[in-house]
Amino acid sequence: MSSSAGVGGDAPDLVCQLDCAQGMVDALSSVRWKRHQDAVVEISEHGVVLIVEESGCLQAKVYLKRELFLAYEYTAEGRPRFGLSLGLFVDCLNTFSTPGHAPVIEIRYPGPDMQLLLKTVDSPDACIYAEIRTRIPDTISWDCNFQSTGNVHATFTEAVDDLEWPGSSIQIVLQPDPPSVILRGEGHGDLQVEFPYYANTDLLIAFQCDQHVSYRYKYKFLRATTSHIPNSVLKDNRGSKVTIGRGGMLKIQHLISVKRAGGQHSHGDISGGIQQLSRIAYIEFFVKPEEDESPVNDT
Amino acid sequence: DLSTFPALRASLALRFTEQAPGMELSLSGNALKTFTRSITCLARVGTELVLAASPSKLELHTLNSSRSAYQTVSFHPGSFDIYSLSSSSSIRCSVLLKSLCSVLRTPAAALDRIAVALPSPDAAKLQCTLHCLSGAKKTYWITCNVDPDVQQLSLDRRRFPSSLVVRPRDLARLLANFQSSLQEITIFAAETSAAPSDSGDEIGGKAVELRSYIDPTKDNSDATLHTQLWIDPAEEFFQYTHTGDPVDVTFGVKELKLDFKRAGFYRTARMESAIQPILMAPRFGFDDASDSDFDATLVLATMLVSQLNSGSSQEQPSVPPVPQLERSRAANASPVSDNPSNHTKIWSELSGSAAKSSDTIRGKQVQVEGNPSASIPNDQQTPNMINVPRVPAAHEDTLDIQQPMETDDRDKTQDGADMHGNPYSQHHPSNWVGAVDDEDEDDDDDEELCVQSTPHYSD
Repeated sequence: MSSSAGVGGDAPDLVCQLDCAQGMVDALSSVRWKRHQDAVVEISEHGVVLIVEESGCLQAKVYLKRELFLAYEYTAEGRPRFGLSLGLFVDCLNTFSTPGHAPVIEIRYPGPDMQLLLKTVDSPDACIYAEIRTRIPDTISWDCNFQSTGNVHATFTEAVDDLEWPGSSIQIVLQPDPPSVILRGEGHGDLQVEFPYYANTDLLIAFQCDQHVSYRYKYKFLRATTSHIPNSVLKDNRGSKVTIGRGGMLKIQHLISVKRAGGQHSHGDISGGIQQLSRIAYIEFFVKPEEDESPVNDT
Repeated sequence: DLSTFPALRASLALRFTEQAPGMELSLSGNALKTFTRSITCLARVGTELVLAASPSKLELHTLNSSRSAYQTVSFHPGSFDIYSLSSSSSIRCSVLLKSLCSVLRTPAAALDRIAVALPSPDAAKLQCTLHCLSGAKKTYWITCNVDPDVQQLSLDRRRFPSSLVVRPRDLARLLANFQSSLQEITIFAAETSAAPSDSGDEIGGKAVELRSYIDPTKDNSDATLHTQLWIDPAEEFFQYTHTGDPVDVTFGVKELKLDFKRAGFYRTARMESAIQPILMAPRFGFDDASDSDFDATLVLATMLVSQLNSGSSQEQPSVPPVPQLERSRAANASPVSDNPSNHTKIWSELSGSAAKSSDTIRGKQVQVEGNPSASIPNDQQTPNMINVPRVPAAHEDTLDIQQPMETDDRDKTQDGADMHGNPYSQHHPSNWVGAVDDEDEDDDDDEELCVQSTPHYSD
């Protein structure tokens, strides 16, 4: 915990410490589908949320709960928001972390000039210090009131990769009878990938669908939701939750484990691959459907 | 030969029904793996695939864009779990290999089975369904090409007089002796000599030669590397048969490398003569019973001119074999023993009158029992092949058997030959080690060493 408070009663809104920089990088990289992306960061007593958006059709949120941090001191009123370059933030965190060594990093906001301040605090002899400029964020235009009409829990990464071939927008169908998810592309070639619920217990971990739901989505947005999950995370991926809401809004949720480095802080809870829930970052993607598609609903 | 068990399975799997779709195939297990590997191989050769399903087999073939390589793979119906055709005649369609490779991106190890279907013989799309072990089902519809540019080639393997079976890694090792940028290569094949080498200095039993082929029409710098490799087929090849006159074929190296990338299969190469294409096919392990349900053939176009024979005459010169050889051999005997390294110099020479004699000597060196004149290169297409042959007068008689000179160029080069009888070339003989007489002795050992890189054939 940092002892120095802000000057003149100007305590920073947030002072937190983390020792899992690499995990943070993994979580944040999942939503990095372009080189330069502006993110909006919202801090609260519950944790940090980072929101990225593209062309009003694709939105991603990364939830970093306060339990992920070694220390989390929040003193602000309300929920301050600021704009930040996602690329800069991720690259900066990368600079701090070196293979085999996870330093303790203190993040502080705001600095004297509203910047985000980062520094290593675990070594008495040396310190790495960084400042990142922030800006006043644009208002996020959509914060949808999401009502689920059906959801599925499965791993779609491979299917989304395969669906690059047709070169078209992708139709996602959730149907109750027979219970299955179907992804379809029709371009210069046609491809249909079916995930039948009864095929294999591991294929669709959960399936809930009352009515036939079918919408089309732009391929590049769909791809952005799966292709940037780091491979190390995919290996112990529990699968992603895919939900189609009213109006065809697609919501894809991933759970990214943000491992504690070393495990010296463990209280006997580290064994094999068991992850504590608090070591998980939540990633949510929202994809708007293509507008020309009128939803097909069979009852 | 349908008298074996696979045939029985085939007859069970094979159905002719009115209601069945044009074509429906399903395969799994090893057949699936072979199928996916075959597609990968075919994709290395050409861009379009023709799929032809008949009651007796499924054939896949492709032709490369320069029309110099044709590959066909055939599967026995018995290797399929389902093999259903709506008619007893062949059903064909053509798709892009690139599309099939996209379909087969999913690794074979993750697949339970693949189904390939055509709803009707003239359907617009080929349907491929992958049933994954995970339970997911991927169905691809690939648009069929309307006018495939691939002809069906049928070649009778038995009519090829020369055939060799080689392990891919052995062939790779032999080819490694050649410059990696080499475009074309010539294989000379002759009958292996029954008689042991009659001189300790000779390269005994080397019935096969691999030689780099440099296109004389291309602008070659002096730095082009020429390589010749003499092989004792008994040592290097798994099997080698050659009957009749020596043959030579020249073809693209890249295509040769294409074929044996597929691991595990021996390669059978069959050659007939210079103008006929070579046939290459996998040969399955001799350890197991080779009742494979699968067969593949790669046909490589060869250069229309023989390095041995005149291109203007397309038949093998008919020359009495052994006696002539012995005569020339006898005549050669002394020069060779005087200058054991002559053979090395001589091999590389192809052009000019000197060449003829040199090649008779070479003919001997290879222990060719076939006609020596066949081994006389009349091909004058490589004026910059280096090396200086000796021109022993004793061989004048063999010159008569020469095929007529092919081109004016050749005459020119003859006239322009230097003192060693070597035509004017950018590779001045003196640049070549061993080219000049007085260097012979010095280079002897070097040359000998080079030659001895493959073990001597010894009784």
